[in-house]
Amino acid sequence: MEVREIKALLALMQEYALVELEIDDKKKGKVRLVRAHDGGDAIAASAASIAPAAASARKASVRQAASAPASTIEAAKNAAPALSDNQRLVTSPMVGTFYRAASPDAAPFVDEGDSVRKGQPLCIIEAMKMMNEIEAESAGRVVKVLCENAQPVEYGQPLLILELG
Amino acid sequence: MFKKLLIANRGTIAIRIIRACRELGIGTLAIYSTADKDALHVRMADEAVCIGPANAEDSYLSIPSIMSAVLTYGADAVHPGYGFLSENGDFAEACRKSGVNFVGPRARHIRLMGDKPRARRIMKRAGVPILPGSQGTGVTESRDAQADAERLGFPVLIKAAAGGGGKGMRIVRSMAELQKAFPLARAESEAAFGSRTMYLEKYLEEARHVEFQILADNNRNIIHLGERDCSLQRRHQKVLEEAPCPVMTPRLREKMGKAAVRAAEVVGYSNVGTVEFLLADNGEFYFIEMNTRIQVEHGVTEMVTGIDLVKESIQMASGQPLKLKQRQIKFDGAAIECRVYAEDPETRLPSPGVVSSHHAPGGLGVRVETALYDGYRVPVHYDPLIAKVIVHADDRAAAINRTKAALREYLIDGIRTSIPLHLRILDDPDFAAGHFSTNFLKRFEVRDEAPPLRMAKAS
Repeated sequence: MEVREIKALLALMQEYALVELEIDDKKKGKVRLVRAHDGGDAIAASAASIAPAAASARKASVRQAASAPASTIEAAKNAAPALSDNQRLVTSPMVGTFYRAASPDAAPFVDEGDSVRKGQPLCIIEAMKMMNEIEAESAGRVVKVLCENAQPVEYGQPLLILELG
Repeated sequence: MFKKLLIANRGTIAIRIIRACRELGIGTLAIYSTADKDALHVRMADEAVCIGPANAEDSYLSIPSIMSAVLTYGADAVHPGYGFLSENGDFAEACRKSGVNFVGPRARHIRLMGDKPRARRIMKRAGVPILPGSQGTGVTESRDAQADAERLGFPVLIKAAAGGGGKGMRIVRSMAELQKAFPLARAESEAAFGSRTMYLEKYLEEARHVEFQILADNNRNIIHLGERDCSLQRRHQKVLEEAPCPVMTPRLREKMGKAAVRAAEVVGYSNVGTVEFLLADNGEFYFIEMNTRIQVEHGVTEMVTGIDLVKESIQMASGQPLKLKQRQIKFDGAAIECRVYAEDPETRLPSPGVVSSHHAPGGLGVRVETALYDGYRVPVHYDPLIAKVIVHADDRAAAINRTKAALREYLIDGIRTSIPLHLRILDDPDFAAGHFSTNFLKRFEVRDEAPPLRMAKAS
């Protein structure tokens, strides 16, 4: 994405009092722009330098919020999604590669909409050729899978959203 | 040359490494703990990966986490910086086994020099002078320590065989003191290094800590880049360093430099390293230990030689031959480094918190290495070294003068720092005359006198 284009986006953000804007373009990659809390001119931008598996078709997500995060520059990673009260984020306990199934030809551990028991494996984080199963901490339903298969993930990165109960 | 280098560190040294990589056209991958998500090195690097929670054991000291980041994010080289895993042979080995270049010496050099009694034995055989001390592999029992002390005569220094950084170190001047101190030192060593093996060395009351910078390629071409005087230490923690050593002569430098190169040669060393000596009043010098990493104070050597040690180490690690010849190494002027710690000058307790205003000094011959910025929160979890003020000038008096001016200009609001202590040192007449030994800092009561000049804030 060109500086020109980013500047146009920033102007848009200013005009509509947006705090956060994320654009995911198949060709140009992912850009996430976050404005500082006091609505000042400090704006942080990040461009996709760690590219997850093929970005999907252009999609944009927009957030207007009262409490904005402080300016940060970070490589393209999935933004922490908004959760409702009975939803929990499953985050990665380590840095590694996210896999949805035990092997390339196996079925995924879970799909969106599936119910899960406490202790049921949800996905695998592979680190240095060791497969670490990530288990559900309580029973619930898989609302959303946030990462793509074979995506590099970091410590604390959101992997799935579980609805409890 | 490498494509992507992972910096296995944080803070000031991470910034330093990123800068060198930028000049060499190498991509940078920063790692960080959750406590460092707003850190400067994270922002500066091309890519950044969170590898663990705040505590160092599960992040910056976690070999599996770091290796996972290396392999998952495709780095072909790793720079360990100083501290953390920089002198951990297992880490160097893990990198090599994974087919990733480690910017540093080989694992066996790290392990060998990390075993202090063994390093002493090797040096002795190589004809490098060592202090009288424990023989063999060291001592674990108090009665063996006492036997050594009888033979050496007091005062002696109890040291940890696997140690460094002053932990497990005690000066004792009598058998009674030794009997009390030995179990304590040994316990400290076990806690810090997982080893109960200690050794004794004769203690020199008024000696200077003089270390020589070594640079070597992978083909055993080794040179030295002169010395640094690091005598100003508080509980074995360096506070201020300078190059050249104020009492050095060209003849002595040649002698000690040769000994330092010999020490590196004898173990087939590669990459950067530092050979530490104690220099006695009478001009005798003794090998103490070798540090197998880039050091905090490498900057003073860079200022007087004009050589970029971090770039050189990366180039050596990528297999490039050493182009510099010993006769090309020239020393110009004098350099001083002040280590700025986030600490209360009165209590010497760490002073973490938010740096509400930060203004670093500048100008000719003033170099500041820091990861601080306006609004940065100094975390509680890590080393309190927050900045290095490195000054270069035509001679030592000018360097002292310039350092004082630079420190007075340095504004770090919101936390306490050690800058008042540095100003007191620089004002001390004995320091100005170059008359000091490792005991120098004992004379200072820690009081917050002479606060730095505050700059008027722009309205």
